[in-house]
Amino acid sequence: MDSTLLSWLVFVPTIGAVACLLAPREVTRTVAMLASGISFVLSLFLIPPFLGAGDEMNAAAVFGSSYGDALHFIQRIPWINGESFTIEYFLGLDGLNLPLVILTTLISLLAVWASWNFDEWKINKGKKGYFALLLLLETGMLGTFVALDFFLFYIFWEVMLLPMYFLIGVWGGPRKEYAAIKFFLFTLAGSVLMLVALVAMFFYSGAAVAEYPELAVSYRDGASVLTTGTFDLIELATNEAIQKYFGESLFLGWRFAPVMFIFLFVGFAVKLPAVPVHTWLPDAHVEAPTPISMILAGVLLKMGGYGFLRLCYPIFPSGGQFWAGTLAAIGVVSILYGALCAMAQTDFKKLVAYSSVSHMGYVLLGIAVMTETGFQGAMFQMIAHGISSPMCFFLVGVIYDRAHHREINRFGGLWLTMPKYGTMATIGFFASLGLPGLCGFVGEVFVLLGTFEARHTFTWAVPAAILAAAGVIFTAGYILWLIQRVYLGPQKPEYADYPEATGREMAILMPLAALCVVLGVLPRVVFDYMNGTLRNILDQIL
Amino acid sequence: MESYSNYEIYLMTGTMIPFVSFVILMLFGHRLGKPLSGWVTVAAMASSCALATMTLVGWMGEIDGGTSAGLTAAAQLNQVTWAHLGSIPLNVGVKLDSLTVVMYFMVTFVATWIFVFSVGYMAGHSDEVDGQSKYHRFFCYLSLFGFSMLGLLCSSSLLFLFVFWELVGLCSYLLIGFYFDRKYASNAAIKAFVTNRVGDFGFLFGLMMVAFFLGTFDLEQAAARFAEQYQSHIGLFAGDMTIDLLGWEISGGMVATMMGIGLFCGAMGKSAQFPLHVWLPDAMAGPTPVSALIHAATMVAAGVYLVARVFRLLTPDAQMFIAIIGAITLTLMALIAIVQVDIKKCLAYSTLSQLGYMIFGMGCGAWIAALFHLMTHAFFKAMLFLCSGQVIEGCHHEQDMRKMGGLIRKMPVTAFTFLIGVLAIAGFGIPLAGIGLGGYFSKDEILAVAWDRAFLWGEPLEHHGDGHADSTTDDAPDSMTHTGPQAIRLVSRHAHVFGWNGGVIAGASAAPTGLVEFGRRDRGLTPPAIDYRPSGASQDRDTSRDRDASRGRDTQGAPAGFALASDPQPDEHGAAHDAGGGEHHPAAGAWQRSGGDRLWRVLFWCALATAYVTPFYMMRAWWMTFMGKPRDEHVYHHAHESPLMWFPLVVLAVFTFVSSYWLFRPLIADAAPTASGGILVAGYDGVADDAAAAAGQLIHVHEAHHWLAYGVGGSWLIAFIAAIAIYRGGLALPTRLKAAFGPIATLLERKYYFDEVYGLVFVKGCVAFAHVCRFVDTYIVDMFANLLARMTERLANFSGNGVDARVVDGVFNGIAVTSFDISDMFRSPQTGRIRNYVLFAAGGAALIVLFLIVMASLSAGPVAVASTGG
Repeated sequence: MDSTLLSWLVFVPTIGAVACLLAPREVTRTVAMLASGISFVLSLFLIPPFLGAGDEMNAAAVFGSSYGDALHFIQRIPWINGESFTIEYFLGLDGLNLPLVILTTLISLLAVWASWNFDEWKINKGKKGYFALLLLLETGMLGTFVALDFFLFYIFWEVMLLPMYFLIGVWGGPRKEYAAIKFFLFTLAGSVLMLVALVAMFFYSGAAVAEYPELAVSYRDGASVLTTGTFDLIELATNEAIQKYFGESLFLGWRFAPVMFIFLFVGFAVKLPAVPVHTWLPDAHVEAPTPISMILAGVLLKMGGYGFLRLCYPIFPSGGQFWAGTLAAIGVVSILYGALCAMAQTDFKKLVAYSSVSHMGYVLLGIAVMTETGFQGAMFQMIAHGISSPMCFFLVGVIYDRAHHREINRFGGLWLTMPKYGTMATIGFFASLGLPGLCGFVGEVFVLLGTFEARHTFTWAVPAAILAAAGVIFTAGYILWLIQRVYLGPQKPEYADYPEATGREMAILMPLAALCVVLGVLPRVVFDYMNGTLRNILDQIL
Repeated sequence: MESYSNYEIYLMTGTMIPFVSFVILMLFGHRLGKPLSGWVTVAAMASSCALATMTLVGWMGEIDGGTSAGLTAAAQLNQVTWAHLGSIPLNVGVKLDSLTVVMYFMVTFVATWIFVFSVGYMAGHSDEVDGQSKYHRFFCYLSLFGFSMLGLLCSSSLLFLFVFWELVGLCSYLLIGFYFDRKYASNAAIKAFVTNRVGDFGFLFGLMMVAFFLGTFDLEQAAARFAEQYQSHIGLFAGDMTIDLLGWEISGGMVATMMGIGLFCGAMGKSAQFPLHVWLPDAMAGPTPVSALIHAATMVAAGVYLVARVFRLLTPDAQMFIAIIGAITLTLMALIAIVQVDIKKCLAYSTLSQLGYMIFGMGCGAWIAALFHLMTHAFFKAMLFLCSGQVIEGCHHEQDMRKMGGLIRKMPVTAFTFLIGVLAIAGFGIPLAGIGLGGYFSKDEILAVAWDRAFLWGEPLEHHGDGHADSTTDDAPDSMTHTGPQAIRLVSRHAHVFGWNGGVIAGASAAPTGLVEFGRRDRGLTPPAIDYRPSGASQDRDTSRDRDASRGRDTQGAPAGFALASDPQPDEHGAAHDAGGGEHHPAAGAWQRSGGDRLWRVLFWCALATAYVTPFYMMRAWWMTFMGKPRDEHVYHHAHESPLMWFPLVVLAVFTFVSSYWLFRPLIADAAPTASGGILVAGYDGVADDAAAAAGQLIHVHEAHHWLAYGVGGSWLIAFIAAIAIYRGGLALPTRLKAAFGPIATLLERKYYFDEVYGLVFVKGCVAFAHVCRFVDTYIVDMFANLLARMTERLANFSGNGVDARVVDGVFNGIAVTSFDISDMFRSPQTGRIRNYVLFAAGGAALIVLFLIVMASLSAGPVAVASTGG
C-alpha cells in the first residue's frame, strides 16, 4: 500500500519550523502547537490498517506472514543514484514503529505545550529558534522511526542530533555547554561506528548477491533478483543471499555479523543509554529545559531500543546470539546500577534521569534474551517509559518553575500545598515504580518472564532474571523515598503559598496519567499493534 | 463464552461498586465534604455486602442442592483474554467457589461496619494535621482498598491475584501514610511497601515458574497440570523443566519446592511473617480503622488466602518451610506482645502471632482450620482494633496503656466488647462440651492437626518397619561424600529430598499412610498415596504393583511413583534399594524416624505453648485498660464513647459469638476437597464430613482433640488467672517482674532488635552502596569521559599549537625562510621574480601528485575491503 502520509507526517513539523521562523514572534508558539498538533492527528490516521490485529485471524493480514511482508504506508522513491548503488527515500510502517511514531507525535505535542510559558523562562531569547528547532527535532525523530533505508535512517539520525545540541546548549541550565557537547560527542561517537557499519554492510551485501545470485531474491515482489548492494533495511534482513553471506564472511579477520552487530550496538547503546555510556544522560537532563527533557526521555532514548529491534537483531541474528550474555549483563547492570545511583541523588531531575537508565535496562535485557515475551516486554517497556518518564520530568518542571531549585531535601509537604499536583505525581511516580495497574508493571513483568523463559538457551538467564527482579525492590525504595521527601511531610512555610498546578499543567499531565492507567489495565492496546511484527522478527532470527 | 451466572454477576458488581465510589470521591470528594463522602463509601460497601449476602445465601442453597460444583466449573470457563505472554494467554475470570463466597462475605461485612465506625472516628481525626481536610481522601483510599481486596478474592488467575495484591499494598501504603505530615507515618508507609516488595520479589519468581513450568496462570489449570505432571511417569517438573543457576542445576521436586516457597514469599510479605514481619507493628501509624480493616482483618489475611489458593502447588518441603516460618512467627511475636504498652502495638503483635497460627496451620496441612481461624480472627480482631480505636479516641489520642485503667466505668460497651474479643482470641470454651467462641474451635483445630502431624504421622506402621533404614541411610552418606554444588545436585536428584533433609520428606511421605488408617476409620476416604522414592521412573513402574498389593488399596489417581530425578538413576541407589527392601513397601524406603519428625514436634510444642501466652497478654491488655484504678486523671476524665463507634462494635461482637462455627466452617469445608486435594500433601483436614461439621461436632482428628482438650482446653483460664494476678494491683508488680527478667524483657521490648539490624544492614547498607555507585558514576565513569575529552583536547592542542604551529609551520616557514634566503642568494645576481614561478610550479606539482595518490587509493579502497571480506 503506497502512501505519502508518512512523508507528510515527517515534514509537517519542518514546514512548521519554517513557519515559526517566518511568523511574528507573538504567534510562534501557536504555530508550533499547530504544526505538532497536525502531525499528531496525522499519526492517528496511521492506525486504521492495524485495527483488529489483536484477533489471530487478522494478525497475518495486518503484519504479514513474515518480516517485511506487510509494510504499510510505503513510500519508495529512488533518491541518490550512483553507478552501482541506489539510495532510496523509503518510508514504511509496521508494528515495530507504529506505536513509537504515535508516542513521538504525542510527546512532541505535549512538549510544545510545556514550552508555552517560554517567555517566563530564565533564558527566553530566541523564541523562534527554539520552537523551530523543537519541530526540526520532531522531524528527525519521526524520520528515524519510519525510514527503512539505512542511508536515510542515518541522515535522520544525524538530523536529530543537531537541534538537540542547540536546544540544550542554548536554552539549558548553568552547565549547558558541557552537557550539550557531551551529549553531542557521545552520540556522534556512536554514529561514527554506525557509519562504518553502513558502508561495510552495503559493500558486503553487494558481494553477497554476486556470490549467491540464485538466492538473492528480493522480498519486494518475491521474483526480482538483487544485483547490487542495498541499503534497504528489510532487504538486508530478509534476503537469503545477504543473510547467508553475512553469516559466513569475515571482517578484518573477525566474523562479520558479531562485529557489525557491536558497531551498530554501540551507537544505539549510547542512545538507550546503557551503562557505561550513559553518563551523558544525567548531565543532559539536568541542564535541558523541561520540555526538552520530556522529549529526550520520552522519545530519544527509544531510538536505542528501536535500533536494536530494527537493525541489529533482524540483520545480524548470529551477532545477537554471540553477544547475548554481554548485552544481558549490561542490561542487568543498568537496572541495578541506575536504581542505586538514583537512590543517592539529591537533585530531583538527576534522580529521574538515573531512573531512566534503570528502566531502559529492562529494555536491553528483554531484547537480549531473544524470546517473544522478552521482545514484547522490551517494546512495551519503551512505550510505558515513554509515557511515564516525560510525565515525571514534567512533574519536576512544574515544581522547578515555582521553586527554581531541584534539591530534593529542601522540599517537603508539597502534597498539602498542591493536592491535585500531588495526586498526579503519585500516579506518575507509581507508574515509574512499576505498580500493577499502571503501565510500568507490564513491561517489567514481561521482561522478567521473558528472561526466565530463555533459561534453556542461556545458562545465565535465571540469575539475570533474579537480579533484574531484585531491581524492583530498589526502585520501590528510591521512588518512595523521593515521594516522602518531596511530597509528604509537614508543609514548609517557604512553599506554602505555591499555586496549585495550572490548567495547562494539568492538561499536560492528565493525558499522560490517563495513558499510564489505560496501558496498565489494558496492555493489549499496545500489544495488539506490535506483537505480529515482533513475532515475525523472531521467526526471522531464530 | 458461557453466560454468567448470577453469582458471578453479584461478585463482579460487588467488586466494581467500591471502585465507582473511589472514582466519585476522587473527582468530587472535596465537594462532597465531611460526613457525606464517608457515607458514600459506606453505602457502596453496604451494597457490596448486600450482594455478598445474596451470594452467600444462594450459594448455601446450591451446596445443599449439589449444584455448586457445576457453577464453579462454569465460572471457570468465563474468561477474557488480557494479553498474551508468548503463547500463553493471560485470562481474567471470576473465581467462584465456597472459599471466595465466604471470604467475600467476610470482607464486605467487616468492611461495612468498619467504614461506619470510620465515619465517626475520622470526624475528629482528619482535620487536625493541616489546614485543609483530607477527610474525603481517606474514604477515597478505603474505597480503592475495597475494590482491590474484593478483586483479589475473585481473581481466578494468579497474575491478577498478584495485580490486586499490589493494589491492596498500595492502599495500605497510602493509608498507613495517611498522616503523612508526620515523619514516622510516612516512614512506616515506606517500610510496609518496601518490605512487601521484598516478599513480592519471591512471589514474582514463583509466578515465573508457574507460568513456564505449568504453562498457565490460572489456579485451576495450574493445579491440574501440577497433578498431571506428577502422575506422569517421568514425574514432577521433569524433562526440560530445570533451572540452571550458573551451573548449579535444579530439577524435579526441588524446582517445585522453590516454586512453592517463592509463592509463599508473597504471603510472607503480606501476612507479615518472620522475617518480613517488621512492617506490621509500624503500620499502626495509620488511622485505627485502617489498622482494623487492612492490618488485622483482611489484607494481612490475604497471605493466608494465597497459600490456601496455591495449596495444591505445594510440595511437602514447601509446606514444611511454611510451617516453620509460621511457628517462628507465632511464638516470637506472642512473646513481644507481653511487654507492649501501646494498646495498638499490643494488638498488632497479637495479629502477627495469630497470622503465624494460620500460616502454621497451612503448613501442617490444616487447610480448613487455618482458613476457619482466619474467619474468626477477622471478626474478633477487627472488633478489638475498633475497641482500641474507641479507647484512643475517647482518651484523647492516648495509646499508652500505662496511663489508662478503670475505663470500664466510662466505656462499658467498649469494655465488654473488648472482653468478648479477648475471650475469643484466648480460645474461651468449655472443653469436651463443644461450647466456645470461634477462636476456641479454630485454634484447637489447628493444634489438633499439628499434633496429628507431629505424632501420628510419625508412627511407622508395622508392616514396613524394617528393611528400609538401609536405603535411607545409604543415601544420606552418599550425598554427603560429595561436596559443593555437586552434592546438592545429588541430593536433589537422587534423594527423596526436596532440599531440606531426608527426614522431612520421610516424615511427610509416611504421613498419608497414617492418615489412611485415620481417614478410613473416620471418613471412609482415601487420601492419595504419596511415594517419594530415590529411584528412577522405570523402577517405579516395576514396583508400583507390589506396593499396591502390600498396601491393599487402590491407587487410582495416585502417582505411579514420584520420581524426583529428571533422568532415571540406574546406579547403586536403585540397586541398594532393591536389594534392601525390594519386596517391602517402597514408600517405607523413605521412611525414617528422625529429625523431620522431631522438628514437627518442636513446632507443635511452640504452637501449644503460645496458646498459653495469647490469653495472658490479651487479658493483661484488657485489665490494664479497663480495670483497676485510673492511673492518669486527665485521660480518665476525657474518656467517653460515641454511638457511631460503639454500634459497629456490638455488631461485630455478636458475630464473633454466633458466626463462625455454624456459618463459616461448613462453607470452607465445602471448598476444601477441591482446593486442598493436592496430590503431594493432602489437606489434612481437607476431607471433613460436611454433615458432621454442620452439627458442630469435631469428629475428625478425634484423638487429637481429646488429647488437646486436656492440654490446652483450660489454657485461657490459667493464663487469665496469671495475668489478673500480676496486674491486679496496678503496675508495681509488673515493674518488679520486668526488672527481675532484665535482659529478656529488654530483648522483647526491643523486638529482638530486628528493626535495628535491618535498619543497619539493609537500609543503611543499601543507601551506602547507592552512594558508592553515585561516587563511581560522578567521579570515575564521568572522569573517564572527561579524561578522554581532555586527552583529545590536549592532543588537539599538541597537534594544533605544538606540531602544527611549531613543527609543520616551522618546517614550512623554515622552508620559506630558507628558500627566501636561497632565492635571496640567487636574487642578488638576478632581478626577475622567478622565485615565485618556481615555488608555484613546485607546489602545484606536489598537489597534483598528492591528489592522484588520494584518488587512486580511494577508488581502490572499497574493492580492497570487499575482497578482504570475500
